[in-house]
Amino acid sequence: MLDVERIRRDFPILCRQVHGKPLVFLDSAASSQKPLQVLAAMEETYRQCYANVHRGVYTLSEEATCSYEEARDKVASFINARAREEIIFTRNTTESINLVAYTWGRTHIGPGDRILLTEMEHHSNIVPWQLLAQEKGAELVYLPITDEGFLDLDRLDDLLDERVKLVAFTMMSNVLGTIIPVKEIVEKAHQVGAIALVDGAQAVPHMPVDVQDLGCDFLAFSGHKMCGPTGIGVLYGREELLEEMPPFLGGGDMIRRVELDHSTWNDLPWKFEAGTPAIVEGIGLGAAVDYLTEIGMEAIAAHEQEVVAYAMERLSALPGLKIVGPPAEHRGGVIAFTFRNIHPHDLAHLLDLEGIAVRAGHHCAQPLHRRLGLVATTRASFYLYNTSEEADRLAEALEKVARIVGK
Amino acid sequence: MSDLYKEHILDHYANPRNWGRLDSPDIAADADDPSCGDQVHLEIDLDSDGRVAQVAFEGEGCIISMASTSLFTEYIKGKTIAELEAISEEDVLRVLDAPVGSGRRRCALTPLRALQAGLRKYRRRAQGDD
Repeated sequence: MLDVERIRRDFPILCRQVHGKPLVFLDSAASSQKPLQVLAAMEETYRQCYANVHRGVYTLSEEATCSYEEARDKVASFINARAREEIIFTRNTTESINLVAYTWGRTHIGPGDRILLTEMEHHSNIVPWQLLAQEKGAELVYLPITDEGFLDLDRLDDLLDERVKLVAFTMMSNVLGTIIPVKEIVEKAHQVGAIALVDGAQAVPHMPVDVQDLGCDFLAFSGHKMCGPTGIGVLYGREELLEEMPPFLGGGDMIRRVELDHSTWNDLPWKFEAGTPAIVEGIGLGAAVDYLTEIGMEAIAAHEQEVVAYAMERLSALPGLKIVGPPAEHRGGVIAFTFRNIHPHDLAHLLDLEGIAVRAGHHCAQPLHRRLGLVATTRASFYLYNTSEEADRLAEALEKVARIVGK
Repeated sequence: MSDLYKEHILDHYANPRNWGRLDSPDIAADADDPSCGDQVHLEIDLDSDGRVAQVAFEGEGCIISMASTSLFTEYIKGKTIAELEAISEEDVLRVLDAPVGSGRRRCALTPLRALQAGLRKYRRRAQGDD
């Protein structure tokens, strides 16, 4: 059991009021709030040991380099990577996926090759592959979802053949909340010789993730959804793949030797990190990993599961409220819904006036919304600092909205 | 709960004025916002003096975009093309008469985007006729 009251004290923003009401923050799937421990680590760096990293021979630079590279070690151990060289720092999940598309993709995908995605992907795991497919004359294929919001795994064998070179899919839907059986899909991808990229943006912050156990070739995730700062993300890649991939961006730090007409590349992981990195953000992510690890990812996942199950029970009791996606036991901390005929924008706006922060729209998943026959949904998402009382506040506010604008 | 969802706004949302289509409108255009799903189709008939004689709209969207369009159709009746072209964003918000924050400004301005798209087509056609 999480001591949520103690956890909430670590997040000063949760004490504020919005429109005269205590804030109920239910948008962590978009970006989470940050605990004091992360803020302190970043401020301490700027106050005490900030300098550019790598190659500095003076104390400040050595200290900054040490903290920044220590953060990489923390991330590697957090997802159980075999080696620190497998952890590339990027800006976010989107950049991590683009990195793979531009480097591995451009060298391995050719005309007639297939890339298998799913109908529940976020735009960031669709558009980079569209760009690649257009450039290379490759084809995108989509694994459909069932009406209940699960992947239609019965179709997987039909769609997976030797033409498929890459399978890219989310570990948890940011709309349906569905948790995906990653291992099973990875194994099947490998059987036809395809590599597997997992979009971990929604999963890594919320549940234990072990890349060796999952067997995936790439895992992409963002720092800002897991209590860390914006501007820092991670690409995990199997070392053998990263070694033979060409670099992504060119510039300082990623080179070993630069001649006038050519250059040679730095070792992993720096080969993929051109220019001055997000030093303090990296250190902040390291602090976030420490914070989550100390609380325990199992405990966080169990807490979210409990709050979501309660919230689903409360919300589905409201007349005219429809939740999209599977039952609570198959989902993470995300509940997207429609409520009567009230447009999600109006709903999110009216809830904000009650101090409740939810997101409205297509949540960067337009193809999924079209599949569901919806233009937009309202989404409440939960994290380690959310409580069942906040789910009550949401349900009560929705009842109030219905009284005002229900028709 | 909110000054924004005042009675006149909810009334225009529930009972939109000038709802429907015209037989052969002089000006017709759409505005849509794929990100939130607001969609408005606006049609205008001009009289012999070139003033707005009839307006009609159909659409789907949030309360703010629908109420704003309904109010807008009342507001533009009798205006000349020059007057239509001069309508500013602030004019639309004044007609709506509700505190629209930056987050909902785009919803409130949906009818203006439809009108401006219609006027562009109208001008192109008029130039083509010359």
